Amino acid sequence: MTPDHLHPLAEDYLRRLRRVCRRLPPERLGELSAEIEGHLAAAIPPGAGDDEALEVLERLGPPGDVIEAERSAVGGSADRRRWRERAAVILLVLGGFAAGVGWLVGLVLLWRSRLWTTRDKVIGTLIVPGGIATALLVVVLTGTKRRCVGFAAVDPSTGAPVGHAAMHCTPSAGPSAASTALQIALLLFFVLGPLVSAVYLARRARDRSGFIGPGLGGYGQLST
Amino acid sequence: MVPDGETSITQLRRGVLEFCVLALLRDGERYSFDLVRALGEAEGLVTSEGTLYPLLGRLRREGMVQSTWRESATGPPRRYYRITQDGDAALRAFASQWARFRDSVDTLIEVGATA
Repeated sequence: MTPDHLHPLAEDYLRRLRRVCRRLPPERLGELSAEIEGHLAAAIPPGAGDDEALEVLERLGPPGDVIEAERSAVGGSADRRRWRERAAVILLVLGGFAAGVGWLVGLVLLWRSRLWTTRDKVIGTLIVPGGIATALLVVVLTGTKRRCVGFAAVDPSTGAPVGHAAMHCTPSAGPSAASTALQIALLLFFVLGPLVSAVYLARRARDRSGFIGPGLGGYGQLST
Repeated sequence: MVPDGETSITQLRRGVLEFCVLALLRDGERYSFDLVRALGEAEGLVTSEGTLYPLLGRLRREGMVQSTWRESATGPPRRYYRITQDGDAALRAFASQWARFRDSVDTLIEVGATA
C-alpha cells in the first residue's frame, strides 16, 4: 500500500511502475514495488517540493527501464529452469504416447512449476488428459464397427475344411451423419485441445518468467 | 565487426557491476537504498538507480547475497542485504582476476601510447 507521506509524483511513479510490471509474478511484483517504494520514501523527505521529487525520479529512471532490467535479470535465471516448463508442455501434448506415463510426468512438472497459476495448471490438466494420444483412443473407441465372415472349402465326406480360409469384412451399418459429425468434433477437440492448451501454457510461462527473448542485454541503463 | 569504444565500455560495466555490489557488502550488511545510492554516485557506473533493484534480486536468487526486511519508524519496511559465503568467494576470485586484467590493459595502453 502506498503510504500517505509519499510525494504525489512518487505515488504516480509507483502506479506507473506497477502497471508496466503487472505481468511479473505477484510475489516479485510485490518485492520490487516495495523496494522502490522504500527508495522513494527514503529519498524524498516529507514536504519536499516537486523539483526535489523530480530529481529523485530522474535518478531512479523511468519504470520501463526498471522492468527491462528485471526481464534481463530474471531471464538469466529463467534460462536455467525453463527446461522444466518446456518439458512439461511437450509431455502434456505428446507424453500420452509413452503408455500415458509421459503425460503423468508432464503433469507433475506442470504442478511443481512456480511460473503457472492454479488456473493455468487446471487448464493444462483438463485440456486434455492424455494429450493427443487421447485422440487416438477416441478414434479406436468410436471407429466404424465391421462384420467379418470367414469362408473355407469343406470336404463333403468328412466335413473338414480344405485349403486356405478367407475372411470378408463389410461395414455392419453406415454411420449416421450425426454420429460422423460428433466423431469429427470429438477428434478436433482431442487433437486441437492439447495444442491450444500448450500454446497458452508456453505464453503464460514466458510472460510470468519475465523473459521476452534474447537481445535485451544486461543493465541497459548503465551510463555510457 | 569490432564494437566501438562506447559499446565496449558499456559491456564492461555490465560485467563488473554485480561485483561492485558484492564489494560494497563486503564490510557488512547495508540498507538497499544506501547500496543503490552508493552505486549511483560512483562516477559513470549507473544512470538509472532503479535498474539496480532487479540486479539485487538476481544476486539473491543466485545465492550471492541474502536479505532481511526490517520495520522502519519513519516509513515503509526496509530491506537489508548482506553477502553470502558464495558471494564472498565469487568476489575474491573476480578481484584477483581483475587486478591482472587491469594491469595488463594499462600496460598495453601505455606501451601503445609511447610506441
